[in-house]
Amino acid sequence: MTKHYLPYILLLIMLLWHAVLFAQERFPRPEFESGYVYPEYQQPLQRSQAWEYIDVGVLIAALSVTSWLALKKRSRQGIIWMSVFSLAYFGFYREGCICSVGSVQNVALALFNDGYAIPLTTLLFFLIPLVFALLFGRVFCAGVCPLGAIQELTGFKPVKLPRAVESVMAAIPFIYLALAVLFASMKSQFIICRYDPYVGIFRLDATYTMIIFGVLLLLAGIFINRPYCRYLCPYGVLLNIFSRFAGKHLTITPAECTNCRLCEEDACPYDAILPSNVDQVPVEPVKSRKRFIAYFLLIPVFAAAGGLILFNMAPALAGIHREVRLAKEIRMEKETGIEAVSETAVAFKESGQTEDDLFANEIDIISRFRKASPWAGIFLGLSLGISLVAMTTRKTRTEYKPHQGKCYSCGRCFRYCPVEVNNKSI
Amino acid sequence: MMKLTEKEISILKSISQIAGVFTVIVALTMIFSFIQLKSIDPLDNPALLELKEQYDKDPDNVNKAEQIRAMDLMARKAYYATRRQIETGSYLLLAGAIVFIICQRLITGNEKVLPSVPGDIPDLALKQKRGRQLLMISASVITVGAILSSFLLRSNLPDIRTAKTVKVEKSAAKDNTGYSLADNEKTVIAAEEFSPDATNYPFFRGQDSRGIAGGAGYPTEWDGETGLNIKWKLQVPANGKSSPVIWGDKLFVTGANGTHGELYCIDKNTGTILWTASASEIPGEPSVLPEMDAEAGLAVSSAAVNSNSVCAIFANGNLICLDHYGNKKWALNVGTLENVYGYSSSLLIHENTLILQHDSNERLSIMGFDTGTGQMIWETARRGHPVWSSPVIATFNSKTQVVINGNPAVTAFDPVDGKELWSVDCLSGDVAPSLAVNGTMIYAVTDYQKLAAIKPGAGASVVWEDNTYTSDVSSPVANNHILVIATGYGDVACYNPQEGDTLWTHYFMEQFYASPVIADNKVYLLDRAGTTHIVKAADTFELISVSPLGEPADCTPAFSDKKIYIRGKNNLYCISQD
Repeated sequence: MTKHYLPYILLLIMLLWHAVLFAQERFPRPEFESGYVYPEYQQPLQRSQAWEYIDVGVLIAALSVTSWLALKKRSRQGIIWMSVFSLAYFGFYREGCICSVGSVQNVALALFNDGYAIPLTTLLFFLIPLVFALLFGRVFCAGVCPLGAIQELTGFKPVKLPRAVESVMAAIPFIYLALAVLFASMKSQFIICRYDPYVGIFRLDATYTMIIFGVLLLLAGIFINRPYCRYLCPYGVLLNIFSRFAGKHLTITPAECTNCRLCEEDACPYDAILPSNVDQVPVEPVKSRKRFIAYFLLIPVFAAAGGLILFNMAPALAGIHREVRLAKEIRMEKETGIEAVSETAVAFKESGQTEDDLFANEIDIISRFRKASPWAGIFLGLSLGISLVAMTTRKTRTEYKPHQGKCYSCGRCFRYCPVEVNNKSI
Repeated sequence: MMKLTEKEISILKSISQIAGVFTVIVALTMIFSFIQLKSIDPLDNPALLELKEQYDKDPDNVNKAEQIRAMDLMARKAYYATRRQIETGSYLLLAGAIVFIICQRLITGNEKVLPSVPGDIPDLALKQKRGRQLLMISASVITVGAILSSFLLRSNLPDIRTAKTVKVEKSAAKDNTGYSLADNEKTVIAAEEFSPDATNYPFFRGQDSRGIAGGAGYPTEWDGETGLNIKWKLQVPANGKSSPVIWGDKLFVTGANGTHGELYCIDKNTGTILWTASASEIPGEPSVLPEMDAEAGLAVSSAAVNSNSVCAIFANGNLICLDHYGNKKWALNVGTLENVYGYSSSLLIHENTLILQHDSNERLSIMGFDTGTGQMIWETARRGHPVWSSPVIATFNSKTQVVINGNPAVTAFDPVDGKELWSVDCLSGDVAPSLAVNGTMIYAVTDYQKLAAIKPGAGASVVWEDNTYTSDVSSPVANNHILVIATGYGDVACYNPQEGDTLWTHYFMEQFYASPVIADNKVYLLDRAGTTHIVKAADTFELISVSPLGEPADCTPAFSDKKIYIRGKNNLYCISQD
């Protein structure tokens, strides 16, 4: 009985790590006159490089164990254990950083800026889960990602969303990924980290709006399981693509599927089970072929349209850059006479930098956005086109199997399969 | 998942409910405390501020100081008490949440799996069709939203096509005024707001001790051995490491033989010594020389000159002040200047106040003397350890200030009354290079430490820092476009002064002790072998010429009226193309 409690006891112990977090809040210095000398280090020293590699080692180990639990052992309980471990280690102990989800931005920044050398460990955090996805499916989401783990542990009462809502929401991660890469490569913002809803909970240190956002997502996640993974996670887009080509993937049934359809309705809250279609005869094959060709030819049209729309949006998107916002504020001050009082504006005025320099820099940033934004639009157009083409093809399936792109390898479906139930009873 | 009885599940449900309610209550309390915390600034208490104001008017009032301390402590205690409440609350919140989650998971795990009885087999073709429709509708909605937002959010942003035209016109205008050179957009001007005098080079590193020379047309090629462009050459009667300073047609340099220091006034056009002033036998002069570097000697500090006075200090503490004709106005000993390597700070004159950076093991201060009478006008103590840098004059927001690169702080003082204006902890160790100053920032460096860019003023802070290139003796020089550092191992690095990016670096084989000087859009870099490397003052490296002196040199050159004056190990050279 004790072993069932152990994951939770472990989680509780790791949560107590928070004692150190409160030391970091800034506080005005006292005006000492007693000759008190401030300590040389007033901020925590950087973590040793060795620990970075230990993190990579833990990541590989956790991915390996989760793959074994999901594909070989087929243990939902084991995957929950891994979630608890990952939440404790990568979430509360490592405070959600570095994480593979955010590493997308480091990679984008490094790809498009010569001045930034990406740390090897960051690159490994980006690549290793993708390699595992290519080998075994989205095992990273199943039990290693701390963001996924915290949602997995709080998803008690899963309900399915209407298909229409699901379709609209599923587009968001693609947009989020395109924007995150664009903003990171333009040296503007790391929006994935900035708007990470759970990192504030891991650190107990974030703006209240972000903590409230995280808590609301967790509350919503009780019913709409893994809301961040499904409707926001940009890294999930890449994992989704890589996982489709996975050499081995979790299966619903441990043996031959009997097509009993018991997993069809409730087994997967993520709608990631593809039903058998062996009994359904293809209708109007000629029409289907024509539709396929039409959608296929539309792919470059969608890509071009996406590029054009994002090109048009570039100046608005450039507004996320600090200097563009500052220039806007200073221009407002000049035009309306209302004093710019933001901290950035005050710092700018004190720095002695000229307005001409600021406005010239603003133009330069907008120009760079003009060049880069269409690529983000092309990516979105291509994603839409390819998705539509995928919906015109028909693959014959003789059994119920997970959708390799959408399946989080969480193992919820295991216990719905009577084949496994029978095996257990034997 | 372990099996639980109905009764156990019922108990778990009750616990879960209690934990849920508890968590919500704690969360609400925390939100209240957080708002309270955000609204409190412990040092913004009106009573405390008023007391501080009163204290500023009456700084000798000990009772007021005590009252302020007590109130300050009380305000901080209250602040921390609220923070402790939040800290405790967060643990309670986590504990409540964990209990809730554990109970819920156990309850969920024990619920029997009752798969829904599937209805008719879904028509997958129809499902695909609906999927396509929904995807198209979603894409359309998003596209419309994107197009609308692209127009709505664009307001008050410049049209970049118009802006580009304006930019081009602007740079063309610059070309017409000669503000920037047409052949190379990257060429920068030595100093825009700072316009040093073309004739007077009154302190170590020139006007305001900034390392920027006024005027133009300085020679770029010479050879001390062949005599190419050497107008005159003079053996200075006594050795010294002090750099020449100039006022009008007179050049001043110091030297010392053993314990005897002298100031020489030389005609800058002919190289004739006009007069020599002794700086010995001054009351208070120590009988035993203070500890110093064997190579340095007594005459390391450069003299300072203005329209009516020339002042010089020596490492034994003897300070003399004369008029331009060699008549002694006053002389005094400022006390033993004992430090590890020997005293080396040069003098400054602001209006009629002689500014002395006093660095000894016993006393760290900055002093102001009346150049007319030798009367000390003010003295302000400095904290930290002795350094070997010299003060510089900087002007920010129309406020003239004397700034010292100290250990540990870079500190600015008011030259009128000596009051400390601002200070920022920056360096430690042996600090010898003086500061570089441009229109917006101050740059401090020392070897084995770092180069730091400091935003001056109240709340001064380090804006960026780098430790790739640091100098041990040579001082950096900066204008608004470049920051140049010549290191003790032969590397010269040029930085973007605003951002700290390295613009270029070059290895010159020889060490640099003399400080680089920017003159006429060129940087003059004199190495210890006596060779001057002249490079373009630009953000790309371009070597213009290399000119040897023919003897080693550690002193910083002086620039005046198209002539360059370099003090070598033995001789003083005047270099001119005329």
